[in-house]
Amino acid sequence: MNKNLLKIFFLLFSLFLMINCSDDQCNQTTESILKTRMFVSDPSLISGKFLDSMSVYAPEWTDSIHHVGTSSTDSTDFSLYLSPYSDTTTFILASKSMLDTVHLFYTRKLILLSQECGFVTHFNIKSFNYTTNNIDSVFLIENEITTDNDGYLQIYF
Amino acid sequence: MVIYKYIFSFLFCILLGFPLYSQDIELEKDPWKITGVKIGMDVGRFSSYILKPEKTSYAGSLDIGFNNKYFAVFEYGYSEIHLEKTLYDYFSDGTFWKVGFDYNMLKKYPTDYLGIGFRFGQASFDHFAENISKDYSHWGSNITSTPLIKHSASWVEVTIGVKAELIKNVYFGWSALIKVHVTGGTDNSFQPYDIPGFGNPSNAINLGANYFIYYQIPFNRK
Repeated sequence: MNKNLLKIFFLLFSLFLMINCSDDQCNQTTESILKTRMFVSDPSLISGKFLDSMSVYAPEWTDSIHHVGTSSTDSTDFSLYLSPYSDTTTFILASKSMLDTVHLFYTRKLILLSQECGFVTHFNIKSFNYTTNNIDSVFLIENEITTDNDGYLQIYF
Repeated sequence: MVIYKYIFSFLFCILLGFPLYSQDIELEKDPWKITGVKIGMDVGRFSSYILKPEKTSYAGSLDIGFNNKYFAVFEYGYSEIHLEKTLYDYFSDGTFWKVGFDYNMLKKYPTDYLGIGFRFGQASFDHFAENISKDYSHWGSNITSTPLIKHSASWVEVTIGVKAELIKNVYFGWSALIKVHVTGGTDNSFQPYDIPGFGNPSNAINLGANYFIYYQIPFNRK
């Protein structure tokens, strides 16, 4: 057998072994997050520190979410989590006894992300509606929510 | 990062192959004749016992050589995956076949092979998961399972590889594969972990490698 062929076998088999080595740690994000930025332009809401008191919750939850990071008087960010058990999630936005509701309708996809990380749920938001007690408008900027790609929703008061 | 290693491996194979190709000499054109029938077994899959214990797979091949230049190739394989983890149990099993041809670029070493090939592959498999345990932020935890789901998938492959005669009529061969997904094997609600013979269904293109041992039934051998 040709010596060059022997070299090819040896070197490429070594590369093959190297490629197949991996650790058992889950090094990936396993949460699918809907980033939500709230904007306030109504002067009465700004002066009343409307966003500072804002909390978001779903009727099924026993707790609520408050803004992430620093909140300015006219905008703030939330990280929301859609229900993995239903194709609809209702979020209630509460501030100073004023309530609004946002309904999100989506499809779900169960993904075996990796052996180490197990299963995760990805979402694709198809439509939404909302009440207008204080909400002026809602824009869905990014409807695909995966562990690699956050969704993005903008809510204007 | 892994894909770069595959690409490096593939390019390395090509670069090492060029000196062999450049040494070729012209031979007289012969009439078409069968020069051998090779029956092969994919021995690279046995590395799974150590490196991927969750995967059990077997594959065999049959190729018919014409003038040791052109080869009609048929491959058949079985693959089973059982991931038994603390967060889930996942099961998948199925079969695949490939049909295609190889072209030998070597002329100087007529019993060996350095060449390129093309394959069309088809797989049928099913999968399901149970004891899926998941903690969701604010939504609590649950344990669920999925129904058994059947899939079929097809793909095309381009290969570059070598086969060398270790002892009389016994060959060892290696090939690098570029597999391009054509149809099937994906699911909107429960994405398969692996397509037998193809690999990760999330990728439109998968790279891989095969290691085969062959026994050749010689025909018209000088």
